[in-house]
Amino acid sequence: MISQLPTNANVLEQAGYFTVPGADLYTVVHQPTDPVARVLLVGPFASERHFSYHPWLRWARYLAKRRIEVIRYDYRGIGESTGVFEDLSFEDWNEDVSLLADWAASRLPRIPLVLHGLELGAILAGKCFHEGAGDALLLWSPPANANQALRSNLLSWAGMEQLWESPENRTSGSQYIRQLERGDSIEVQGYQWSSRLWHDSLSFELPSTMQSDSVSDEVYKKPVKVVKLSREAAPLVKPHLMYNELKDLSWLYSANLDWIVSALAFQRKIR
Amino acid sequence: MNKKSETRELFTLEGSECIIRGTHHKVRDVSYCAQLDIVERDRIGVLFLNSLSPTRAGKGDSAVYWADSFAEGGYPSFRFDLPGFGDSDGDPPADQLNFINHGCYAPIVCTKIRELVARFNLSGVVLVGLCAGAVSAIHTAAACRECRGVILMDPYFHLPLSPRSSVWGKLVGRIPAGALRRVLKRCFHILLAARVQMPTAKLPSNSNFGLLRHYKELASRCLPTLILTVPAVRQRGVGFDYINYICEQARNNQMVLQVVSGADHTFANRIGRTSVRRFIEVWLNDYFPLQGRSEDVVSAEKSECGSAKSRIQSVQRYLHEESLS
Repeated sequence: MISQLPTNANVLEQAGYFTVPGADLYTVVHQPTDPVARVLLVGPFASERHFSYHPWLRWARYLAKRRIEVIRYDYRGIGESTGVFEDLSFEDWNEDVSLLADWAASRLPRIPLVLHGLELGAILAGKCFHEGAGDALLLWSPPANANQALRSNLLSWAGMEQLWESPENRTSGSQYIRQLERGDSIEVQGYQWSSRLWHDSLSFELPSTMQSDSVSDEVYKKPVKVVKLSREAAPLVKPHLMYNELKDLSWLYSANLDWIVSALAFQRKIR
Repeated sequence: MNKKSETRELFTLEGSECIIRGTHHKVRDVSYCAQLDIVERDRIGVLFLNSLSPTRAGKGDSAVYWADSFAEGGYPSFRFDLPGFGDSDGDPPADQLNFINHGCYAPIVCTKIRELVARFNLSGVVLVGLCAGAVSAIHTAAACRECRGVILMDPYFHLPLSPRSSVWGKLVGRIPAGALRRVLKRCFHILLAARVQMPTAKLPSNSNFGLLRHYKELASRCLPTLILTVPAVRQRGVGFDYINYICEQARNNQMVLQVVSGADHTFANRIGRTSVRRFIEVWLNDYFPLQGRSEDVVSAEKSECGSAKSRIQSVQRYLHEESLS
């Protein structure tokens, strides 16, 4: 199916700041001429952004070359966006997605909007979709709740840290978790994790109606797809080895583009 | 969407058929400056070059933090993505590390610095580079007249070792795991440490000679240079203490070496980023003082961190410690 989609080299990439309460979100619009659909990418969280940046950006460019307008952004307090990470909460990041989804839906031309999230971003995209935004939802490796994502990042980071520390200075992942649980903040890959963030993450969940595609389709009456990414999709997901090298993920991109195309059934327009 | 926020501005440099995207951190608190117009037309910009980190934000967004801080202190700061990094066009070169080590980014950085200087009315730039970024900074500074100083964060001066010979591999493979292998390993590390401590040791064959030559050029030009390094750097097992070597090469008043305790290689942790910010702020004030800046502000900062020039003694002390050990 992918071979039938014409690629469009005339893609504008416009970066700017999208203003939300108390911050400016770094936002990039990949704008092809005559787009047939629009995708809002809700990307990897905090330190994951660093590792997944190359394949995430290339996914955006891949879609844009195939006449799908893409909007991607950095969360409040992360990457190029303004704001202080340790002062923010999941509610703030949830608000970012809602405001951007509203803005995306209001853009011209009026075309179908797909919400698409990766890992913790998948929970955010899912919650926004649950509230009624978007015409389709594509989730890559959503955890059941935000704590799963944070815990996985923490354990992975703590494991790496131990390689560099002398035995007497080593702190295990479970020790860090105990620090968070007793109210202390810890620093993970340059981000200050507060105890509040940790506790909030336990109840910040993917809507239960999204646990399976068939249930989702029935509940939302709109296409929903949940994809569990394997290690082959690294560095989009762990392990993040060789993350600064370019990896060919066209197999993943083409399969997911096929789903977007079929879900929104806009092949006729393209032809 | 806006191109500007209150404190930042996004820019694109499109010359030489190469599109580079970046962020300008605007000078915002100029209340200390009696003559704003002087600052506006004759400013030194601080430009961050990519390390091997995929984006211009750096690990843990540390580069964003530093750029915000220096802009707040009166120095317009810039971060951009070179081709193959972050949001800029193009894919990374097939062997990116080799590309960087041999200074292949320098011509494009020189061109982009000229564009940046013209566009933002700068009198020049100070280049900041971490790790591979420091390598690009040295190569670029040697070729770029607009470069007024360099800040090298944990630079390296060696090339990757060629794969171990099959003979060595076979020999090691024949030693069974156990006490003998541990003893041999221990001996190897003792010999390696001894080699590091030898002040007259020759440059290893895998030294980046082109980079060292460019560094010497900077030293002979007396280009203000701040080197920030971490205590663990000398124990990394590269087999030669390059920091000691380049300190010997640049015995002039324009080089400052600072060992940052408590930081890791990326300086992205809290202690590392705060220390780096303070050391660079003091160094900038010493070598590129802002005209009209209140003496009270400057003296307050110096009392906190000490003058950068006074820390030249730290280089001498470092060398002295080396010779003693």
